[in-house]
Amino acid sequence: MDPSALNSPDLQRFLNQEKEKAMVNEMVAKLTSVCWDKCITGTPGNKFSSSESACLSNCAQRFMDLTMIIMKRIQSMQ
Amino acid sequence: MDSFSTGSSGTGSPQFSTDEFMDQMKVQLAQAYAQEFLETVRGKCFEKCITKPGSSLSGSESSCISRCVDRYIEATGIVGRVLFSSR
Repeated sequence: MDPSALNSPDLQRFLNQEKEKAMVNEMVAKLTSVCWDKCITGTPGNKFSSSESACLSNCAQRFMDLTMIIMKRIQSMQ
Repeated sequence: MDSFSTGSSGTGSPQFSTDEFMDQMKVQLAQAYAQEFLETVRGKCFEKCITKPGSSLSGSESSCISRCVDRYIEATGIVGRVLFSSR
């Protein structure tokens, strides 16, 4: 690819989109890993029990709350 | 028509257009995501299902692995939905 193509708006848009997708992907993967370890304590069954799926969903929601609190706390320090 | 205008859609170079670059990158990213997912699931399900590695994989271990993979995919869906429904 010729170097001037790096400035192409299409390419920049594409790269930004992919960057965002990668961040989202990483966050979902990380959070799934953490919540799986917390919530799925037995051997995996044919379907999640209601307490397991509620735990996964609560775990993800609390993680978001935690992120917000930490962000506010850090902002208030600056 | 000179040699610089062949086989590309306007702004790209002759050998390798921006579109081709983007397509190749998409393929490679998809491979990288799949690879990473495989490694994660492998780790999680090994931990859950192979508690005492024997001389061969037992039937109950392999059915545990299948269920584990299905549940991990389901868990990823649950977490993803929570993250994106709240915005």
